Amino acid sequence: MNVLQSREGPPANPNYDHRYDAIVVGAGLAGSAAAITMARDGLDVLLIERGSYPGAKNVFGGVMYTPTIRELVDIDSAPTERYVAERRYSMLTEEDEIAASVSIGDWHEPPHNDSFTVIRGDFDEWFAEQAVEEGATLITETTVTDLIREDGRIVGVETDRPDGAVRAPVVVLAEGGNSLVSESAGLKETDHREHIAVAVKEVLEFPGDSRKIIEDRFRLVDDDGAAYHYFGKGAVGDAFGGAFLYTNDDTISVGLAYRIEDAVTEKISPQDRLDEFKSHPAVAPIFRDARTVEYGAKTIPEGGASAMPELVHDGALLVGDTAGLVLNNGVHLEGTNMAVESGFHAGKAVVKAFGSKATPRPADAATAGTESAGQVRADGGVSNTTRPSVTVRASDLQSYPDSLEQSFVVENLEHYEWLINRVVEDKQLLFEDLPEALADAAAEYFTIDRQPKQTHGRLAKERIMHTVGGLRGAIKLGWRYRKMIR
Amino acid sequence: MSTTPSETIENASLEDRLYTVKYQDPGESHLDVTVPGICASKCKPGEAECVTVCPADVWRQSEDGTPVIAYENCLECGSCRYACSQNNVEWSYPERGAGVTYKKG
Ligand SMILES: Cc1cc2nc3c(=O)[nH]c(=O)nc-3n(C[C@H](O)[C@H](O)[C@H](O)COP(=O)(O)OP(=O)(O)OC[C@H]3O[C@@H](n4cnc5c(N)ncnc54)[C@H](O)[C@@H]3O)c2cc1C
Ligand code: SF4
Ligand code: SF4
Repeated sequence: MNVLQSREGPPANPNYDHRYDAIVVGAGLAGSAAAITMARDGLDVLLIERGSYPGAKNVFGGVMYTPTIRELVDIDSAPTERYVAERRYSMLTEEDEIAASVSIGDWHEPPHNDSFTVIRGDFDEWFAEQAVEEGATLITETTVTDLIREDGRIVGVETDRPDGAVRAPVVVLAEGGNSLVSESAGLKETDHREHIAVAVKEVLEFPGDSRKIIEDRFRLVDDDGAAYHYFGKGAVGDAFGGAFLYTNDDTISVGLAYRIEDAVTEKISPQDRLDEFKSHPAVAPIFRDARTVEYGAKTIPEGGASAMPELVHDGALLVGDTAGLVLNNGVHLEGTNMAVESGFHAGKAVVKAFGSKATPRPADAATAGTESAGQVRADGGVSNTTRPSVTVRASDLQSYPDSLEQSFVVENLEHYEWLINRVVEDKQLLFEDLPEALADAAAEYFTIDRQPKQTHGRLAKERIMHTVGGLRGAIKLGWRYRKMIR
Repeated sequence: MSTTPSETIENASLEDRLYTVKYQDPGESHLDVTVPGICASKCKPGEAECVTVCPADVWRQSEDGTPVIAYENCLECGSCRYACSQNNVEWSYPERGAGVTYKKG
């Protein structure tokens, strides 16, 4: 822990200027992944975080997707809460619920489908520690306020530290979705409020043996956990979005997210909406006696592939949420895996760029994938010699967008872009008319009275067919969503 | 119309919710409006987008229409920055780690 300066605060103003190969803005998932990758291959990395420790400013729903993290570090040492053993998707009208639950036997076996609930305060700190162990220097309580340019190239960052400017050949922008630095430097446009969601979340605890109560209420054994997603009017009112509920070890996370556009045009206040969702008859009993232990809020970029900014610039790269790499379309809410994957590819591209520059640097001996466990330096990582200046152009970094393009990240974003567009077009049908019709039809179908079952079956079918526009409508609808399972 | 038996949930008040997060006062507001006159002329009482979207009751409309900003409540989510259609929200991060600190996130 002594190499990690977080919690004790930054050291007494050492000089970081011109001492590093790369600066990473933000010790979130994408930032730490990039730092691990670069430091491991011998680059000197400065990881700058505005919070008092990595994770202090970060809020998310709950499920960390770990396929890439597993490749990068020893995941067994990660502070995870529970693995996801049950996924439940539920449509809420104002009073009814229609739900489907999926639990796959294999999910109980390692690697548990690489889906774990986590507490970001713990997880992000641990992940940044992995970067420090690879030799990166982490400084906290330091906000990057702007980028420094020379001849149009990005050559460093301005900070709110007394010594201000820190220059290095490469800056990795991993500042999350609220990308103040990238925007003010003109590397990215401010997202339109149609393409960004407001999210609120509460972590709840039960009095007494909270862990046991959670296991009983969610029918859990040992470390398995549940991920529930809710749609429709009962979840987010007239907005486009959804609500979520995840089980941690001895707390639960509940929250919702919907487009800011809908929040302002439909006048839906996030905290009121959260109260209403929690009071829905289908979920309220889950929260009986629960106490709020933390309340948080955050935005989610959801512009998809077409909203992706230019990923590389002369001296800079954009990763994670800063690059808009989130899949949020109703069925999926995934950003963690794409943040880590993009940080990894960006880190590799920087290593490659330095390799081709072949500058005489003492650290060069450690490059080319060799083990560099001995890189943790007692001086807190600040080397005392300034560096010869190196110029890294966007063209030197092109392998980052190229490899991201080949990875699941861009593949998924592009593949599901149509879905979000369709769902927005069909919102009334999918989130209001159809759930109501299904609930009515189910009520009809399961009615116990003295009429023959066949009659109820026919009426139920008619109710649904009427809503989707007959057989023709049903076929059309199926066709519109065929790519869901392709 | 319905007789759904419903659990009555005792939701914590917003004030209690905000008490759950650690907060260090940066000493001055990290939020502001660019041109106060725009607020007064564009946002009628009850219509301000910043007020509606804010999950922490930071923005409150005063009599003359310009918002009063209780920045100490801010959860640093960024929503108000996107919500204001007049692009009139000045938004920066509190300095040197001040502002909210989440334990759970
Ligand atoms: C409510 C909600 C629920 C979600 N649920 C899920 C889910 O269940 N599963 C999933 O996979 N994804 C989920 N996501 C998405 C996921 O959280 C993000 O995609 C992911 O955290 C992005 O990682 P990142 O590293 O790009 O950004 P972040 O995790 O936001 O990290 C950015 C870091 O940069 C720091 N920083 C920012 N600006 C500066 C600056 N100027 N100077 C210094 N430091 C700075 C921040 O403090 C932070 O540590 C959810 C998001 C939200 C908001
Ligand atoms: S900040 Fe924007 S939304 Fe808020 S009152 Fe002013 S103009 Fe209206
Ligand atoms: S950033 Fe979020 S919490 Fe802070 S004032 Fe804006 S909307 Fe409210």
